[in-house]
Amino acid sequence: MKHLTFRFRAVQSAAILGGISLLVAACGNSTSTTSGLAAKQVLKFPVYQTAGTFDPGQADAEVDTEITQNVFSNLWRFDDNLNLVPDLATTVPTLANNGISSDGLTFTVHLKQNVKFNNGDAMTSKDVLYSWNRAVALQGAYSSNLSAIAGYDALQKAAGAPPSSSSGAGGTTTFRQNIENKLAANDPAFQLSGLTAPDANTVQIKLAHACGWCLTAWSLQGSTGSVVDQKAISIDPVNWWSKPVVQGQPGGMVGTGPFYLSAYTAKQSMVFKAVSNWWGSPKPTLTEVDIAIHDPAAISGDVTAWEQGNFDLIGYGGNSSNLTYPLIQGIKGNATYASQLLTKPKGRTTWLSFNVGYPATGGPFVGTSAAAKGLRMAFALAVDKAGLATTVCHDVQCTAATGGLITKGLVGYLGDGADPLAKFDATQAMSLLKQYDPTGKLTANLKYSFNAGGLNDPVAAYLQSQWQTNLGVHVTLDPSSDASQFISNRLTGKYVMARDGWQFDYNHPQDWFDNLWGYLATAAGANTSGFDDPTYDSVLKQADQMPIDTALPLYKQLAQILQQNVAYIPLYYSVANFAIHSYVKGAGSNSQADYYWNETSIQSH
Amino acid sequence: MVTRGTLIYIGQRLVLIVFTVIVVSFGVFAVVHSLPGNAFVSDRVHGRALQILLHQYGLDQPIPVQYWSFLKGLVHGNLGVSLYIRDLPITPLVLRELSVSAMLGGAALIVTIGLGITFGVLAAVRQNTWVDYLLTGIAVVGYSVPSFVIASLGILIFGQWLNNLSHGAFFYPEPWTGTYGTLAELSLPAIALGFYTSGQITRITRAAMLDVIGQDYIRTARAKGLQDRIVILRHALRNALVPVTSILGPTVISIITGSVIIENIFGIPGLGKEFVESIFQHDYNVTVGVFTIYAFLIGFANLTVDLVYTVIDPRIRY
Repeated sequence: MKHLTFRFRAVQSAAILGGISLLVAACGNSTSTTSGLAAKQVLKFPVYQTAGTFDPGQADAEVDTEITQNVFSNLWRFDDNLNLVPDLATTVPTLANNGISSDGLTFTVHLKQNVKFNNGDAMTSKDVLYSWNRAVALQGAYSSNLSAIAGYDALQKAAGAPPSSSSGAGGTTTFRQNIENKLAANDPAFQLSGLTAPDANTVQIKLAHACGWCLTAWSLQGSTGSVVDQKAISIDPVNWWSKPVVQGQPGGMVGTGPFYLSAYTAKQSMVFKAVSNWWGSPKPTLTEVDIAIHDPAAISGDVTAWEQGNFDLIGYGGNSSNLTYPLIQGIKGNATYASQLLTKPKGRTTWLSFNVGYPATGGPFVGTSAAAKGLRMAFALAVDKAGLATTVCHDVQCTAATGGLITKGLVGYLGDGADPLAKFDATQAMSLLKQYDPTGKLTANLKYSFNAGGLNDPVAAYLQSQWQTNLGVHVTLDPSSDASQFISNRLTGKYVMARDGWQFDYNHPQDWFDNLWGYLATAAGANTSGFDDPTYDSVLKQADQMPIDTALPLYKQLAQILQQNVAYIPLYYSVANFAIHSYVKGAGSNSQADYYWNETSIQSH
Repeated sequence: MVTRGTLIYIGQRLVLIVFTVIVVSFGVFAVVHSLPGNAFVSDRVHGRALQILLHQYGLDQPIPVQYWSFLKGLVHGNLGVSLYIRDLPITPLVLRELSVSAMLGGAALIVTIGLGITFGVLAAVRQNTWVDYLLTGIAVVGYSVPSFVIASLGILIFGQWLNNLSHGAFFYPEPWTGTYGTLAELSLPAIALGFYTSGQITRITRAAMLDVIGQDYIRTARAKGLQDRIVILRHALRNALVPVTSILGPTVISIITGSVIIENIFGIPGLGKEFVESIFQHDYNVTVGVFTIYAFLIGFANLTVDLVYTVIDPRIRY
């Protein structure tokens, strides 16, 4: 009887709860509308690196550009499939539409006429000129994207080296204020001679030499090709990028994109709001994007917060590598969240660089002799790359790099298994070692140098184990706790064997071959391996001036030159992992960047 | 009453504080600038772009020149700009973080003094009972176990096992509103930070109380028929507090320096966390700025405690 009474009470309670639920439902769900969209269109996610600067003229970190691609626009941009599409311009210039002259030296760009900055000011060709001239004068890391435009060197020379300021802000203020003053005065020395505005809606770009990669480089989001507002910057040339836009007031981080900075607390949080009546398409559905700036160590707690619905996604802002394997497994193992894990190839390749061209550093790999090449090949063949992806990355965080240095999916990828250095042949490796170092003297006391953290530690341990097992050579691991010091040393050829890698900026082989082993890299003292080959430089120069279709075989030839010289050991391609709630529609990423926020909406849930 | 002697003493101490700050800040300035690496270098920033940045921020100048520029800014309350977040003025940043640290430090001080004095008094008045043994036992544990161990245990117990306070994290509203977490969220880091020093205060309070309650004037007060509570709180405690105040200075300093560890364990966005982060990020100006503020704080904390002595013990004169 007692049991029955309990059951009756349970049914009674259920009925009451059901009735309440029906009543609530009848009164309407406060978080949803009839269209399926949630009433509150606020996207929340954490990032694990604070922005260094949002100024497109100086930005050089992924987190900066991933965010500012939603605030600033370029003449063209990459769509979700990495195709170049018009942004501020009406078309992508080609020979066929007369956007590019027959000699390839002049680009004529027509601008959309309805574009407005998010403070309401109309955007014209003068703004493009101002933005690009300013970016060149600032001489940031990406100013070289504009280097083919006539007058580039002269403008940088005119801007000069910034005055020293010691640790205060005086020098930066003076330097930038000076640039603003010169640009405001239309000082000819501060204008690219190859950049002109025939009318308010046309920009003409004349190059000093043909450039097949320029269009893609100019389209790099949140960077030197982005258009900024002179009026807003002139109010605070140094810190304008961190100032929220207040409607009705001048200044702040003003762009032509669909979102504007509404609140910013350094190292804590950022709030972006949608521009009402934005000129472009698709119109943003999100009304607000809230970004929390957290420590990388907080990611475990953030995944819990994501599961609880406090964050809508994790991995945006260049943080798709922050989800560790245990966290990924945790999400995968949860029936509710497993389907909400998004895995995408990331345009980043990691390899090992040999010291090929720095005799002062020494080691058995220096030079072009058969012995040096043979030993490099022995060490390359002794590493099982597929095993690395399985052992270190659990086939989740990376894939074996078998198709060349350029990541799978990008222009210039050689094809699965096409890189001879990616092969694993322990027998051949041992044979080469015995041939070129029969006594073992040359390969004694070798060191593998890397910056500690992330996958680098297990990768190093794996390589050490592979060389020990397959070559019988003990390589000492040389971790560096300071990444900046490691990079400085690596770029200047201070290591015999070192971890190396590249994440592409824009989808063009020049981004890889020029910046890593090209004449520009060598001139800048940034050629990790010291690989210097006249044929390579000559082919590169030739390829860089051609349209991509005709240049592609030459870029493949460059890849082959590197392979023939065994300049590297390919290790892995990175994989991006995102946790995105299923109610967030339109969110995701290609191998370069997150999808634009104006493509995203929040469904009722 | 502030006497001429007191004013002279304060003046001398202020000069000493300034001197200490200059010495300390120069030492830190020289050390952090000699560390390998810098805030700018990356796969993309090197060569000319790096040289320009170093030049732009004056990092290619000799250390004494850079330090002189820092000092000039300091006189005007300008600690310079961040290198990691390019050009972000440091002074407003560290003042914001100081307010977070002050809240944590204040809460820890309440824990320290509140627990320490309460336990000390109770242990003394219940001498040689189980209450005494329990409280002195807790005190011994308190000053034997480092704060980071207590913090880790707290996170394990409250965060992991009891799943409380969302894994023991210190929360603040997002987007940032300038308010810093609830009392419940603050309690765990405050206890972790203050428990260590509360043990010392318990021990000293107990000893001082035992000394005082054995004195004739206390016996007289009891003989006059005063309630035990009034005798203890009004007559005994005040005199027993004099030796307690003598360790307030080291206690405050312990809390300030201890906050560096506790803020990093709990992820509290205060000065301590900034200090550690800035070192890893090679944000030299921020490191020096935070250290300079610490030097000022410790100097002023010592001075304040020295002045408090004169209020509690009128026999002390400067």
